Amino acid sequence: MRRRNFLALGSAGIAMAGATKRPALETDWCGCELQTPAGGRGMRAQTGPVGLEAFADVSSGLKITGMKVFGVSFNPNSDRPYVFVKLETNRGIIGWGEGTLEGKAGAVMACINDFKDFLIGADPMQVEHIWQSMYIHSFYRAGPVIGSAISGIDQALWDIRGKALNMPVYKLLGGPFDPRGVRGYYHVDGATHDQLVQIRATAHEQGITCVKSGIPGYYEWIERRPKIDRAIKAMQMLRETLGPDIDIAIDFHAKTSPSVASVIVKEVEPLNLLFIEEPCPPENVQAMAKIARRSTTPIATGERLIASYGVREILEMGVVDILQTDINHVGGISGLWKVAATANVSSISMAPHACEGPIGGLATIHVDAAMPNFVVQEICGLVKPTATDKIWEEWFGFPAMRMVDGRFPLAEKPGLGFELSEASLAKYPFGGTHPMARVFHEDGSVAEW
Amino acid sequence: MNAFVTRRRARLVAGFAPQAAAAATRPGGLDIAEIRHFPVREPVSGNRYSLLRVKTRTGLTGWGECRFDPTADFKALETAWIGRPANAYATIAPSTPFRAALDIALLDILGKAANAPVYRVLGGPTRSKVRAYSSPHTEAFPVAVIDVPAPVSRNQGKAYQNKVLELVNAVPAERDFVLAGNGLLTPGDAASVAATVETKHPLWFDEPCSHSNIDAVRKISGETVVPLGFGAGIDDPGVFQALLREGLIDVVRPDIGIFGISGTKRVAALAEPYYVAVAPRTSGGPLGTAAAIQLAASVPNFFIQHVPIPAAEQDRAMRREIVSSAIEAGNGGFLQLPKAPGLGITVNEAALEKYHAA
Repeated sequence: MRRRNFLALGSAGIAMAGATKRPALETDWCGCELQTPAGGRGMRAQTGPVGLEAFADVSSGLKITGMKVFGVSFNPNSDRPYVFVKLETNRGIIGWGEGTLEGKAGAVMACINDFKDFLIGADPMQVEHIWQSMYIHSFYRAGPVIGSAISGIDQALWDIRGKALNMPVYKLLGGPFDPRGVRGYYHVDGATHDQLVQIRATAHEQGITCVKSGIPGYYEWIERRPKIDRAIKAMQMLRETLGPDIDIAIDFHAKTSPSVASVIVKEVEPLNLLFIEEPCPPENVQAMAKIARRSTTPIATGERLIASYGVREILEMGVVDILQTDINHVGGISGLWKVAATANVSSISMAPHACEGPIGGLATIHVDAAMPNFVVQEICGLVKPTATDKIWEEWFGFPAMRMVDGRFPLAEKPGLGFELSEASLAKYPFGGTHPMARVFHEDGSVAEW
Repeated sequence: MNAFVTRRRARLVAGFAPQAAAAATRPGGLDIAEIRHFPVREPVSGNRYSLLRVKTRTGLTGWGECRFDPTADFKALETAWIGRPANAYATIAPSTPFRAALDIALLDILGKAANAPVYRVLGGPTRSKVRAYSSPHTEAFPVAVIDVPAPVSRNQGKAYQNKVLELVNAVPAERDFVLAGNGLLTPGDAASVAATVETKHPLWFDEPCSHSNIDAVRKISGETVVPLGFGAGIDDPGVFQALLREGLIDVVRPDIGIFGISGTKRVAALAEPYYVAVAPRTSGGPLGTAAAIQLAASVPNFFIQHVPIPAAEQDRAMRREIVSSAIEAGNGGFLQLPKAPGLGITVNEAALEKYHAA
């Protein structure tokens, strides 16, 4: 059976006109013939930028002239070197984006380079069009590697369009809903009573209204009593020590099965948590529904989901209360905005994930500011600034991703709102790709981290 | 068909002809020459199970075990399998008599032919030791099994729930337990018992009601979060699928004496995308336990293995006698992985005669 008839496709004919002199043969419907040593006789891969000829009359005049990909490692063993993309244009406007993917830095960097042909010479203002081409013309759609590569490029394209239009991105998106900024939360790094008391005091000082912690340990799909008891006690202590006026979220990090999560989640209902996150792994929506239907605690998930296509089923089934897609994986600003728009129709809220570098962090604030259904923004920082916060401040000249009165302030400059020099990144050369933590159970079997 | 395709096909057939001819006439070294059935009985408990010995032409011997079934047609097994290759365990039809024992025996042979334990043949080991429990619990197997008291009437209410709670409270807080309903309870009783013990964190509630009453299972699963385990008597993987699909089961418990090693592995694979653990059942002898250990080290989602250690010392002695190694000896709640090829055990045929279930 023929899946496509290229002779009949007018628009495809135009798209391919630059590359092929004669019409494609019907027999070459899957592109397999490109594999032959002779290079095939039918359909050819399009080379060059996206849709240049068709848009010649409506071009903005801006052209992408260069692309650079940076791997940035704070230490040579880092499992998540930042993957940054820099796009250059014929008018000197520069765009930055981030596609950091934990444990797979090399793959994302290579994938961004694979998209170079889509970009050089293209009009950067056509972000939606370029996004579509990168996603659709990747054929297999996007998993985390392609998703992160598209995310980095998309952010850089938005940075350029903001600068070209002389507006911060959140204004281009129609925001802000709240000029004071977007509410955020830090992670809790303490487990003892004394540490938590200290965190509480610092949080009150800084006006921080929300924090997140994780459940301790690793879990098999059925779990032993001592581990379940310990997890519940840890959460109870958080609430008792942090008090009633700080919102608490608990990250299950997909370490638990629906069976184990159901037991724990039901028992912590009296703690009035803001949400519990990833109570089970992401592949099976029905499995997560099993947890949701037996608990009143709001459930959040989504950091591993790509594009609005990736969240459709979970939205339709009404399984979660909050989506957490990540601007560095979901498809950048375009991807995150579409997920939020789709979720809003189902009255589902947004609390985007961010546990990578500062470009994605700064970019996500723009989208948050323009979401009607925004709840809270993550950053993988701590209530007390760390060495990472210091480097970020050196890079950008302002304390990137630090909250003021519990909110991330909005940018005033156009685009994503920052300047970044290649020289400042050079201090932290790429240390190579390193896997994320690999953990195992007592019997040596593979555990979720 | 056009001329080009015809010519091409003819050329291919000619090219492969020598190989095909050789394969058709050459008897494989792993072809099955003989199958023997040894039904045995534990002297005190009276528990019976069937052992199969399968020999290949080249003299490799494999052992398997399944549930004892007096109606199983041994002749039909011989007709179907004598002369067939012993490596083809995946081709055993579900309707084959003694199918679990045959599956285990063929994997034993395959392991011996490959000079590797079965778990290595199947892509393991996925773990270095195998969590296990027995009833009653012992020092070697500390997990407790609490059988619900036999109900004196239907829909018994609070007094009965308290009776169960008392039994649960008698187990020290640091000791894990399985609550075994043994399919005895009505849906209402099962749901209220589950709700009563919910915060005591049982590993799971085993057979809270009959799995065939799926509405009852829905009710229990909807009203409580106690993990539910099913598997008793299930001989069709589709039953597990029906329960998994609706999220009604938390522990799949296929019986190794029904599914064999590879059939249980398939059920474990079925449960995997639902994030559901497998805790296989075996109600037979030490060979069943040996097979269970190999299975546990071959799948990712194994949680725990029940070892049906009998109460009477005489029966326990019999289990040690028919299989050479201390395969069922536990340590700190775990069984050890054997390192020898196949199942990693040798069977004492004289002892099988001694305990023959005539």
